[in-house]
Amino acid sequence: MNSESLWLGGMRRPVRLAMLVFIGATLLLYAWLVVNALLFEDAIDMFDMIRPKGRFVVLAMLASLAGAILLASIYFSDTRGAIEQEADGFFDIVSLVTSRLSMIMVACIVLVMLYEVVSRYVFARPTLWANELSLWIAGFLFLFAGQYAMQQRSHIRIYVIYDMMPRWMQKTADVLSLNLLLFFTFALVWGGYSDAMRRMMRLETFGTAWDPPLPGTLKPAILIIILLVTIQAVSNLIADWNKEPEHHSPADEIDETEIDKIRKTLGT
Amino acid sequence: MEFLDLLAWMKVGDVATLSIILLLVMFFLLAIGMPLGFASAFLAVLVLIMKFGPDLLFSRFGHGPLSVVGQAVYRQMTNYVLISVPLFIFMAALLERSGIARDMYSSLNVWLSRTRGGIAIVTSIMAVIMAAMSGIIGGEVVLLGLIALPQMLRLGYNQNLAIGTICASGSLGTMIPPSIVLIFYGLVTETSIKALFTAAFLPGFILATFFILYILIRTNLNPSLAPLPEEEPDAPKGLEKALLFIGFLSRFALWLTGFLLLRALFFTVTGENAVREGVDPIALGMVSDIPYIAGAGAIALALMLFLVGKERSRLGWEMGKGLVPPTVVIGVVLGSIYMGITGITEAAGMGVVAVFVIGLLRREMTFEIVWDSLMRTLKSTGTIIWVTIGAASLAAAYTLSGGPTYVANTIISAELPTMGIILVMMLIFLMMGMFMDWIGIVLLIMPVFLPIVLKLPVEEIGFLGGLDPKFVAVWFGVVFCMNMQVSFLSPPFGPAAFYLKSVAPPHITLTAIFRGFLPFIALQLLALSVLLIWPSIVTLFL
Repeated sequence: MNSESLWLGGMRRPVRLAMLVFIGATLLLYAWLVVNALLFEDAIDMFDMIRPKGRFVVLAMLASLAGAILLASIYFSDTRGAIEQEADGFFDIVSLVTSRLSMIMVACIVLVMLYEVVSRYVFARPTLWANELSLWIAGFLFLFAGQYAMQQRSHIRIYVIYDMMPRWMQKTADVLSLNLLLFFTFALVWGGYSDAMRRMMRLETFGTAWDPPLPGTLKPAILIIILLVTIQAVSNLIADWNKEPEHHSPADEIDETEIDKIRKTLGT
Repeated sequence: MEFLDLLAWMKVGDVATLSIILLLVMFFLLAIGMPLGFASAFLAVLVLIMKFGPDLLFSRFGHGPLSVVGQAVYRQMTNYVLISVPLFIFMAALLERSGIARDMYSSLNVWLSRTRGGIAIVTSIMAVIMAAMSGIIGGEVVLLGLIALPQMLRLGYNQNLAIGTICASGSLGTMIPPSIVLIFYGLVTETSIKALFTAAFLPGFILATFFILYILIRTNLNPSLAPLPEEEPDAPKGLEKALLFIGFLSRFALWLTGFLLLRALFFTVTGENAVREGVDPIALGMVSDIPYIAGAGAIALALMLFLVGKERSRLGWEMGKGLVPPTVVIGVVLGSIYMGITGITEAAGMGVVAVFVIGLLRREMTFEIVWDSLMRTLKSTGTIIWVTIGAASLAAAYTLSGGPTYVANTIISAELPTMGIILVMMLIFLMMGMFMDWIGIVLLIMPVFLPIVLKLPVEEIGFLGGLDPKFVAVWFGVVFCMNMQVSFLSPPFGPAAFYLKSVAPPHITLTAIFRGFLPFIALQLLALSVLLIWPSIVTLFL
């Protein structure tokens, strides 16, 4: 992770330090919560975690966790991965930060599932919250993944005819596609605004035992993140405007560096 | 809102016109290179405009039928099974960067090195094992291309045979469960994914068997296609090798029974396997199972000690131990699904954990590998899920306008021969598969095709053996999956070819690769016709 800085520059080291501090704080608080849960019957559990009600430990835990994940996302967004496109649009950095956020989310889902399976089959004490928590995380993950795919220009398109067009026609086609996407986003927000706002204001819950405010957060998130995807699309069009036409083939999916790395593991 | 009246002409009352406009605009948008997911999302809005007219949709901000689009997206976002998609991709990405595949190759190769066409057969078997570990293709073709292709070319194997074997077998990933294609088919059509997995097992194996038989027959008819390697003087042969293999198997069985015994004892101690009314017994975990497990273990021990001998079985274990990690991963993933321990999603999560832990034990896992894998996971997830988002919106809007029912009724009332309709569908799948990813086909075409298939007279499907009416959707899913096998190989865009090209020596051109595919495409079509002629083969284990 010593490669070139994308955007943080001199801020890289301080961000890293802050990230480590927050991670440390989160781990300490978590350890504290676990010890409490082992010792006391009425310790703070997952049910209280999403209903802080002014309890200091819960608020501190949530804040440090959020800080740790956010700072880690910012820190890691500073390095370009081997398989990634160059970030040259005005909105790319935002998408890179959210992409790192969702990469951490994938790992979190795995951990939550491991926790659930172990507690259910080894300790015969299934949790009430694991399924819903992974569902909640995954909703955001799916949405952010689209933003990332947009930034990486990896959404599925059919290039057969597109590649045959002269560049001016490609540009026209791109502008048309973008306008249709803008219209879709407009229609989506038009139709879904009241519904999403109402649920967000009430922080509508899922109606289960753990009862996370899943609809109350995810419904507005759908509108917001699709809006972000659209902004990213605008940013892409501007960034790609003066680029030479590329020829596309399914081979674009495959990355040379990645294959080199696989080769190295195989020792061939 | 005066101007909305000016746009009132956009309302199209009649479903037929609406469907035709939809189809034409879809073709146009895909032709100009609009991303599939966004094109369908826009079309969803277009369908609503045609159905309800702009007046009703845009007269009041924040209200109206347009909200179905947001609802459809929300439904997809809160679908628990969909979480298995990033997890399976993550697992495959981790698997690719571990040495598990290489060791498995050497272990398999030991046993079959003296067989004619041995490496090609090893490649196929390895592909089947890898297919049972992960549910996506791409990585498999790359791995096989890196491991097996150089060996086959070095030995002087026929190039077409080598290429075809690698790509055709490498594509089995989506035919043998777990399979991401079947997961999406199950999601779209609300069919039981577990039933789909069970049903796809046999056809997947039939296809793999076809490949292996083809290799055996061709190489034995014409030995110059697959020269045997130089014989190593001190390598074991014949009976000795068989004994070594039995030694490996019995030692492996000993480990397995030991694990199962501990597990059953653990359940007995915790009292979790007490026989209760209405609770399904834990597979191989009940008290009554203990004697059988112990007996199997004893037989394995006896074999190892008396038939094979201790020293020889140790040697056999050394030669074959590359097969153990894959077996563990398969056991975790498929075992979780079939022994009723967890659902598909948790099985995928446990698969990730299993690969990660094996990687740690092999001292290969680094933060960099995990991070790279996460990055690839996210990229693939984004592309796949957003087609789902767009297509789900379109399907919701089109269903609201009565489209699928209309299409199904039109086709049924035309009284065409049942198998004729199915064959036309197969042709459409194969044609579309040449230009479009499977994900677009399953999400956009299936909501229209499956209702038609379900309305066809079930007794007219197939020629041999009947099909249970409640399994028609499962059967069609497996048939679809077989079609997609062809699409991975079919020119001009068969992805397997491009994956192989990226790792093959430069003198192998894309045309040469596609030429190597031809006999294997024929085998796939043969397997497809088996499914069409004898549909009950799919429901054999259901």
